[in-house]
Amino acid sequence: MKYLSICSISFLNLISISMTCFFCSLYFLLNNLVYFIEWEVVSLNSMSITMTFLFDWMSLLFMSFVLMISSLVIFYSKEYMSGDVNINRFIMLVLMFVLSMMLLIISPNLVSILLGWDGLGLVSYCLVIYFQNIKSYNAGMLTALSNRIGDVALLLAIAWMLNYGSWNYIFYLEVMQNEFEMMLIGSLVMLAAMTKSAQIPFSSWLPAAMAAPTPVSALVHSSTLVTAGVYLLIRFNILLSNSWMGQFLLLLSGLTMFMAGLGANFEFDLKKIIALSTLSQLGLMMSILSMGFYKLAMFHLLTHALFKALLFMCAGAIIHNMNNSQDIRLMGGLSIHMPLTSACFNVSNLALCGMPFLAGFYSKDMILEIVMISNINMFSFFLYFFSTGLTVCYSFRLVYYSMTGDLNCSSLNVLNDEGWVMLRGMMGLLVMSIIGGSMLNWLIFPVPYMICLPFFLKLLTLFVCIFGGLFGYLISVSNLYTINKSMILYNLTNFMGSMWFMPYISTYGVIFYPLNYGQIVSKSFDQGWSEYFGGQHLYQKLLNYSQTLFLIHNNNLKIYLMLFVFWILILVNFLLFL
Amino acid sequence: MFNNSSKILFITMMIIGTLITVTSNSWLGAWMGLEINLLSFIPLMSDNNNFKSTEASLKYFLTQALASTVLLFSVILLMLNNSMTIEINNSFTSMIILSTLLLKSGAAPFHFWFPNLMEGLTWMNALLLMTWQKIAPLMLISYLNLKNLLLISVILSVIIGAIGGLNQTSLRKLMAFSSINHLGWMLSALMINESVWMIYFLFYSFLSFILTFMFNIFKLFHLNQLFSWFMQSKVMKFTLFMNFLSLGGLPPFLGFLPKWIVIQQLTFCNQYFQLMILLMSTLITLFFYLRICYSAFMLNYYENNWVISTQINNFSMKLYLICTFLSIFGLFMISMFYSMF
Repeated sequence: MKYLSICSISFLNLISISMTCFFCSLYFLLNNLVYFIEWEVVSLNSMSITMTFLFDWMSLLFMSFVLMISSLVIFYSKEYMSGDVNINRFIMLVLMFVLSMMLLIISPNLVSILLGWDGLGLVSYCLVIYFQNIKSYNAGMLTALSNRIGDVALLLAIAWMLNYGSWNYIFYLEVMQNEFEMMLIGSLVMLAAMTKSAQIPFSSWLPAAMAAPTPVSALVHSSTLVTAGVYLLIRFNILLSNSWMGQFLLLLSGLTMFMAGLGANFEFDLKKIIALSTLSQLGLMMSILSMGFYKLAMFHLLTHALFKALLFMCAGAIIHNMNNSQDIRLMGGLSIHMPLTSACFNVSNLALCGMPFLAGFYSKDMILEIVMISNINMFSFFLYFFSTGLTVCYSFRLVYYSMTGDLNCSSLNVLNDEGWVMLRGMMGLLVMSIIGGSMLNWLIFPVPYMICLPFFLKLLTLFVCIFGGLFGYLISVSNLYTINKSMILYNLTNFMGSMWFMPYISTYGVIFYPLNYGQIVSKSFDQGWSEYFGGQHLYQKLLNYSQTLFLIHNNNLKIYLMLFVFWILILVNFLLFL
Repeated sequence: MFNNSSKILFITMMIIGTLITVTSNSWLGAWMGLEINLLSFIPLMSDNNNFKSTEASLKYFLTQALASTVLLFSVILLMLNNSMTIEINNSFTSMIILSTLLLKSGAAPFHFWFPNLMEGLTWMNALLLMTWQKIAPLMLISYLNLKNLLLISVILSVIIGAIGGLNQTSLRKLMAFSSINHLGWMLSALMINESVWMIYFLFYSFLSFILTFMFNIFKLFHLNQLFSWFMQSKVMKFTLFMNFLSLGGLPPFLGFLPKWIVIQQLTFCNQYFQLMILLMSTLITLFFYLRICYSAFMLNYYENNWVISTQINNFSMKLYLICTFLSIFGLFMISMFYSMF
């Protein structure tokens, strides 16, 4: 049982499939192959129901990354969730999650995409409410309902695809891209992708989904759930370029990136900071995708998956050590007490910031330079670079709070690196988040991008990062006599620290008036008029009639008999005189 | 009751009286049978130790005697008229006859004596009053083919039977109003077909027999006694309430079958208005039966700490269980036998 737990078995299976996928993708990449597999499930008269799979280097590579990360996450959960009685259910759910993701990745068909998409939504709900308490239920409901908007959008897109006679969208994208129907489909798919990737009107569920166990967060935020939207739009990227949809998405994703970066600087919950940084990176992917560079989006998606999973795993280890506290103000000096975890944490944080030659550097730097040589307006340019600075800012703030200084938690607290199982899981990803960027860079781009920039523009990224890091340190430093600057502009702080009020808007804002009207309707119709004119009133009336009837029944036998005699007399009267 | 030899005599006389009425071919003979029946039922009712039953027997005597007198009067009137067969259907004389018979059977506009009377009777007498005593008047009513007054009586009977039972806590009054309601159904069955009436009457007698049998053994007279009725077992309580529902005519039980037949016959005769009123009032009856069951099983589900050990002998128990089985599953079995042939 010790060696053959469900975690170990799943780990071995997933990692071997992952390796297979990886080598297949290398082969496909070298030979420029695409396999399109069509399986006819049933054929009736002229109608045939077919299941289609699309294997190209992109789907295979993405699949190998998803599988590798999920295998390591499952390996990691063996220790992280070891005290849990329901660990089997947990692993099953994670496996189902991965399965839905696989279905989503390899299908070129809108219907089978919807299957995977709905599977992701459902299983993510089950995972978010895994720790059964009110907060989890609320978070789960928010997650599920936000994603449901995307499901509906996909369903509508399926309905519109009916015009073309088949749901294999890849055949129609290029041919039909100027048609109105295709534009509708594209915008619906974009809406779906925006809900799944938590772009701006739908952002609030992503930090709320932190109620899930940490390994799930690692999986969901790195490679599976939130990247599903990006991946879907990568498949639909033809529709985005040179249309209003691309411009619209560029604006929204840029704002998302900015909003999340800003919000992370005000947050004190360790997991929420990382969630907001995921949101920021998703905005980056979406925005570069909306400019038409889908390969760069894919590149950043993959590298981000590596270091973000590692970051969450480290956060899980830290949370274990802090007695399940996630507040970064209680941490401090962790680099002394748990050096190996801290090393992983710092590497992944630096990779997130774009530290040269770590994984994030290759993708992020290239994205920013491509942005600089593209035609882009001032506002989007500002959003890109300011958000990059903010990323470094909150990363350094996080490092400052958790790694340096003294421990601010309870006095009698034993801190150590977690067990060897968790560390091994992290080590695998540590290697990948160091070498992953350069490896992918050499694999994906057969011909390097030509980038030609003036000197100061070239240095802009570096400058923004250094400045951001410095700023992150400076705003975090505090001593006994520091004035709390965030209280000076309290309203602004409140606005920026709560994701621009989006959690309120997408919960109370949506439900406030319907709930009130629902109460009115329920009180005045269901429990009001329809009761009054329906059952209750009828019942009261019948009771009243019954009481009146018993007045007559009051045992006056004489009167009854007299009445009978009168009745007979009346009849006799008629008999005689008619 | 059966140990007393004089009671055996009276019961026999009572049966003979009814049989005379049913079999006689003249109104005078029918009247004579009714008188014999009345005079032998009164000693059965009265009990020296219980003044309520004496009062009840007196009331019964007064009402029935009045009805018999007027019946005799109208029968003589009918003979004076000298054209019996033609005018019997729409003359005022036959209306008088019908009124007296309705008074005898306790149908609606003339029912006032009936619930009061029931209150003073033992359960066995109540059963006799609800079932056997109705045979003779109903049989005589079936000779008259007078639709209008009868229709009024049907409608009033079902409505009063339904509404009267709504606020009732006394089981005997509840059964009395239920009897009035069923009488409305029986009268409407009578308007269609004699055999339909007979089927309805048999089923009704059977179902009220089961209930009164149990009530008699356990001396249950009020609803709250039913609610705490755990003296035998929970199964007994459960089956008793199933019988209640069966009497009310809830579809899966046997009580629905006679109603079903009447409903079908009325639809064939296009009597939709009458049928609608019958069904609506029966819904009210069902409502309060269901309410009682609901209270007994859920709301007032309490048990006494003390237990009265009432002995029920083995024969009665078996009889009760067999009858209950028939009452609950009878409709299924009849449908199955029906589909076999």
